[in-house]
Amino acid sequence: MMMPQTQELPHVVEPVIVGVAIAYFVIVTIIGAWATRRTRTAGDFFAAGGGIGLIALSLSVMSATLSGFAFIGGPGLVYALGLGAMFIILPAGLTNAMGAWVLAKRLRLLAEVRRTMTIPDAIGARYRSPLAQGLAGVSILVAVIGYMATNILALGLVIDAVFGIGLGWGIWLGMGVTLAYAVGGGIVAGIYTDVFQGSLMAVASVLVFLFTLKAGGGLGGLSGTILATDPGFLGPWGALTPMAALSFFFVFGMGSLGQPHVVHKFFMLRDPMRLRWYPMVTTTALLVAMLLYFGVGVAVKALTESGQLAPLDLADNATPVFLLNYTPLILAALVFSGVAAAIMSTVNSFMNIGAAALMHDLPVAMGRRVRNELLWGRICTVLISVAAAIMAQFSGALVAFLGIFGWGLFASTLVPALAIGMNWEGATRAGAIASIGTGLGITLVFETLAFFGLFSFPTGVTISGLSLVLSLLLFFVVSYLTRDHAPRDLDPDIRVVLRA
Amino acid sequence: MIKTLALRGIVTATVLLTVAYLSAFLPGGVPRWGPWLFLGGMSVILVSTMALGAARDGGIHGLRGLFVFLLVLLMGGFGAALALPGNEGPDSTLLLGVPLRAALVLYLVGLVPVLVVPFFYARTFHQLALRPGDLERVREEARAARQAHGMQPADTVLHGETAS
Repeated sequence: MMMPQTQELPHVVEPVIVGVAIAYFVIVTIIGAWATRRTRTAGDFFAAGGGIGLIALSLSVMSATLSGFAFIGGPGLVYALGLGAMFIILPAGLTNAMGAWVLAKRLRLLAEVRRTMTIPDAIGARYRSPLAQGLAGVSILVAVIGYMATNILALGLVIDAVFGIGLGWGIWLGMGVTLAYAVGGGIVAGIYTDVFQGSLMAVASVLVFLFTLKAGGGLGGLSGTILATDPGFLGPWGALTPMAALSFFFVFGMGSLGQPHVVHKFFMLRDPMRLRWYPMVTTTALLVAMLLYFGVGVAVKALTESGQLAPLDLADNATPVFLLNYTPLILAALVFSGVAAAIMSTVNSFMNIGAAALMHDLPVAMGRRVRNELLWGRICTVLISVAAAIMAQFSGALVAFLGIFGWGLFASTLVPALAIGMNWEGATRAGAIASIGTGLGITLVFETLAFFGLFSFPTGVTISGLSLVLSLLLFFVVSYLTRDHAPRDLDPDIRVVLRA
Repeated sequence: MIKTLALRGIVTATVLLTVAYLSAFLPGGVPRWGPWLFLGGMSVILVSTMALGAARDGGIHGLRGLFVFLLVLLMGGFGAALALPGNEGPDSTLLLGVPLRAALVLYLVGLVPVLVVPFFYARTFHQLALRPGDLERVREEARAARQAHGMQPADTVLHGETAS
């Protein structure tokens, strides 16, 4: 999820918190070492050799989706915007089943037919187009570098808050631990650390939610306190306009079909028949992990309105302030490790798809193939990670800027060509290229103009929403205009997959 | 038939969403009909995309009711939140701990699909998603199709290098 932490957190250096954090880092390192022994080919490194189970898939999707935003930025956003911030997570009831219907089966079958490892592979195979594959790879690489830089910065902030070692060391320590298991074990390490990290996040979220209810006298008590002083907070749109809130719902609902770090995991399921339970398990896990997002945001608002807490200088401090004042230290320690866990699992997923774009998708798009994909995958993982860490440490406001548009860029470039294209034989190569190019162009141009204050959209219009809609529009218009090409843009074996 | 209907739904919804976004550029900001148009487009595109993905052999056996229900749920839940007067305050009646309009959004639109949609997905999985033997059948049909068109074996093909 987008908008990771970019502001300093209050320091929480306590022996219990430090001890739990160290134990956590040791466990993920052990998992990484175990996974490294299981990683022997590029297929293992990038697609887990198509050998993961349902629970691993579900927890890994949950962990990769959430990032630290669900624990730090999200509750802060609820504190600042009220219920309007819930529109980012409300579509979760629909998105996992939608992903399963629209993409899971087709991507899994495609992997059987063409040995596809990456999402750009799937797009290239679907349209018989190296250009479409290359453009998708470029889009992913652009978004991944920005996403990784912001997430590594967030990880550095959390580690600095826990260990008090300074932001610079926090960035390199966090990146180093993540890299240690990502380089050796690739996505296998990522998946199984996600299982541990996802479980940690879910347990921590439930416990903290119970403490928020206790602190505010139940949900009714929390609401009563807030309604007495700031009733708009609990209006359906919070501080947002209806159009802006609905736009969040649309972008995070429809856009979920274009998140490569999530949907590429469909290639990896060992037994596709287990997909039957995927939406149920993943949706339940997501719902549990998001209790903290809602609970802390609302509780801290009520506690500040009632004078039990001072108003926050920075909304993102909602979670640390609540934990340090209203939960046992051991739970605070679990949550801080949970935040690091969430960020590291997201960073790991991005390392993997970024390395795949650089080492696999772009060379394939140029008609070349790297000889030793496993070795170069590992080298590219290191290169991308170091580049992102340097960017996180030295480029200041640019990092926040790069992180903002990741979700929207993925959505506008990949949803039409991938999600619609894998289910519609009438989609054409020209339509796919036009939509990917449109998404890439609109997002980069308008986000840049907005960042430098040269242009801003009216209230209610989000760049990510508009670029997704225009990308869809171009996809349909160009596919219609080039409809005579549709049959020859589709190989016969891919047609079998689309009709299955 | 269902795929055609779903695609028409997605195209129509895309146009509605585009117009809704463009309406925000009108002098005076988003008109009163803007959020309604957006709501219609958003609900239709989400449900139509699900139907497009779920369709098999031209049908969505067992899911027609669910998709109609979801369309009504999204448009009804958000629509009611839009239409009802904003009267949140100290005297508000709470529904499961939150004011009425918030409850419509959080519980009706947010939670009900969590309980319903994954259940229907699992129930119709063997009819619409995968049946035992599908994997082997698709592998075999794809191999036959490649052979019939003179294509290379699967593990060396990415962009359909055909003999022609």
